[in-house]
Amino acid sequence: MTKKTFLHDEQVKLGARMIEFAGWMMPVSYSSIIDEHTTVRENVGLFDVSHMGEVYVYGNDSLAFLNKLVPQEISKLITSKAVYCQLLNKQGGIIDDLIIYKIEDEKYLLIVNASRIDEDLNWMVRNSLGFDVKIDNQSHNYSLLALQGPRALDLMDKMGLKKENQPEFFSIKRAEIFNINLFVSRTGYTGEDGFEILVKNEFSELLWNYIIEAGKEFNLKPIGLGARDTLRLEAALHLYGNDMDEITTPIEAGLAWSVSKDKTADYNGKEVIKKQLENGGEKKLVALKMLERAIPRHEYEIFYNNKKVGIISSGGVSPVLNENIALGYVKNIKEICLGSIVQVKIREKLYKAEIVKKPFVQKKNKETQK
Amino acid sequence: MSLTEGILCSKSHEYLLEKDGKYIIGLTDYAIEQLGDIVFLELPDIGAEFVKGEVFATIESVKAASEIYMPISGKIVDINEAVVDNPEILNESPYEKGWLVKVESETAHIDSIDLLEYEDYKEEIA
Repeated sequence: MTKKTFLHDEQVKLGARMIEFAGWMMPVSYSSIIDEHTTVRENVGLFDVSHMGEVYVYGNDSLAFLNKLVPQEISKLITSKAVYCQLLNKQGGIIDDLIIYKIEDEKYLLIVNASRIDEDLNWMVRNSLGFDVKIDNQSHNYSLLALQGPRALDLMDKMGLKKENQPEFFSIKRAEIFNINLFVSRTGYTGEDGFEILVKNEFSELLWNYIIEAGKEFNLKPIGLGARDTLRLEAALHLYGNDMDEITTPIEAGLAWSVSKDKTADYNGKEVIKKQLENGGEKKLVALKMLERAIPRHEYEIFYNNKKVGIISSGGVSPVLNENIALGYVKNIKEICLGSIVQVKIREKLYKAEIVKKPFVQKKNKETQK
Repeated sequence: MSLTEGILCSKSHEYLLEKDGKYIIGLTDYAIEQLGDIVFLELPDIGAEFVKGEVFATIESVKAASEIYMPISGKIVDINEAVVDNPEILNESPYEKGWLVKVESETAHIDSIDLLEYEDYKEEIA
């Protein structure tokens, strides 16, 4: 049965058009995708992303356990910090991408994709043999709100979490807003600055309505999954199932920047990852900008010199650039590199595209994870 | 006069309006609303001939690409270049400025038997 978040009815009241996504009824759009997109780039938007999974990992061996699961060095993660990770299988393929937050020593919070919660839990349990660790799926108890955009910090300040107390980029802290206890982290999936707010289900509606009210003077709008997708694509952030799957490694997915090159501990897929860090994999992720007027979409074919070399993993319109953009996988050959001209097959015709740098749209005050 | 007076609609959301012996084809306001922000439109060449039910154009919103079907058989005699250049016209004015093609048809009166009057169409899709 399709599930509803605790904010379902509030969103319908605000005019949300609901669709099914990963087993949940979620808002695809309220006003228009482009209008919502622009709101997040220029002001601030509020998202209900309560479909996402929250899993606690704690126990004496929690650090060693997590270190076995991901190619990132978790022992370097200090309390209140977060790191972007990939859960790997033995072949180095991506089971899911996630953010690991260190809440305190021997207690970590994992935020995972809604569509992958079951696979993630199965895999973690299978790998937990011999570790003194507890895997605690709390997804059913938490709602997750995202507050994203250049005015998110001012709005948060107004809501009582003063700027000097706000978590730094890729950090999390406990806080109280409108007398509601919650976690606030400086993370997101839009390429803008902002927060994700983890709150117990029983307070989520109250919090949602407080934020909608407090956000009025900042031109805050509720944002649906449609704009979430165009925003993340402009920021070249991957979508699991489109841009990543179990037969794609983080190196092939262009995520080598996130992998700890000098990690000494063993982890699933390490041999493959080590090899690929030097030579790359079978395929590589590229960013494309269309040079002709046509929109590339998921699963359209990519050609180079009239030969099929790959496939679009995510594509669409960039409302900010007013251009058509895509992420895709091509064979790992050196002829296809930045500046190369390839073609995308759209309705039986080939249209020119250029391989460009990621991301397509840069945040104004650029911060990096490290 | 209402904008939708005299128009006939297909269940796949194309509308048909006879004017001066030709047939104007477009997309209903309901279809436009469902599509959301329209960003791309591909129309056939003038002179192209299609049979009823055939795909004659493609429309893309931010979300997805969709195909547009001929509500009747006929030959394209005019296309709306303005909406190709500015597809957002469709969001603003689907019945006046946002028509797609004009068609000559010998068989329109038979082909349009299964098309619905606007009020009935609205009821059908509601």
